[in-house]
Amino acid sequence: MISDRRKGAAKLMPKADLSDDLSDRGGAEPTLDRAIQDRIGTHLRAMYDDLVNQPVPDRFAELLGRLDRGEKEGRR
Amino acid sequence: MTQPEPAIRDALLAAVPSLRAFAISLCGQVDRADDLVQDTLLRALSHIDRFERGTNLNAWLFTILRNLFHSEYRKRRREVEDPDGSYAGRLRVQPEQGSRLDFEDFRAALAKLPPDQREALLLVGASGFSYEEAANICGCAVGTIKSRVNRARSRLAALLAVEGVEDLGPDQMTRAALQATG
Repeated sequence: MISDRRKGAAKLMPKADLSDDLSDRGGAEPTLDRAIQDRIGTHLRAMYDDLVNQPVPDRFAELLGRLDRGEKEGRR
Repeated sequence: MTQPEPAIRDALLAAVPSLRAFAISLCGQVDRADDLVQDTLLRALSHIDRFERGTNLNAWLFTILRNLFHSEYRKRRREVEDPDGSYAGRLRVQPEQGSRLDFEDFRAALAKLPPDQREALLLVGASGFSYEEAANICGCAVGTIKSRVNRARSRLAALLAVEGVEDLGPDQMTRAALQATG
C-alpha cells in the first residue's frame, strides 16, 4: 500500500507548482516535494547522459557521408 | 533528395547522440531506436527547406523523430502497447556498452509511465528543452506538458519508492520530504 505515504506526502506538500494546469491533473496527483523532484531529476539525467555518451554506430556518419558524395570531401 | 550542405550534415551528425538517447528512451530498443534516428535524418534532409534557419535544429529534429515514433507506434500498437510487459523487458536488456551505473530500476519505472508522460519528462527533464519547446515538439499546450511532467515525476517517485531503489527508497523519500518542509 502506498496510500499511507502518499497521504503523508500530500500533507507535507508545498504549494509551489500548483499553478500548473490543475484541470489536467484533476487533483489526483499531489505536487512532489522539491527535494524528491531533484533526486528524480538527477537520476533521470544521469541515466540519459549515459545513453547520450554511448558510442554512436558508424551507420549515421556513413549515411550522411554517402548523401554528401559529389560535394567536396574532407570536411568533418 | 538534395545533397546536404556540409554545415547541415555536421549539425545533423552532431545531433545524433541526443536523438539516439531520446529514441532509445522512447521505444526501449536500441535497434529500433537507430532505425528511428536514421529515418529522422533522412526525413530531415528531404524536408530541409522547411527548416527555418536560426531556429533550434535539435528541436526540429526531435519533432520529426517524435512524429515518426508515434506513427510507427500506431502501426505497431498491438506489439508495443503493454505498459508493464515487453517494453520494460526490452528496456532491461538494452545497454550493452558498459553502462557503469545501474539504472535498471529507474529504466523499468520509466517504462511503466504512460507514453505521453514519459515523452514529456524526457524532453524537459533529460533533453533540456524548455516547457515551450517541448510543447511545440509534442504539438500541445504548455500547460499540458507541465501537467504531464508533474504526473510523470509523481508516478516515478511512487514506483521507485515501491521498488526500493537505493537512493530513492521510502525512508529517504520520507526524510527528504520532512526535511524540506522543516
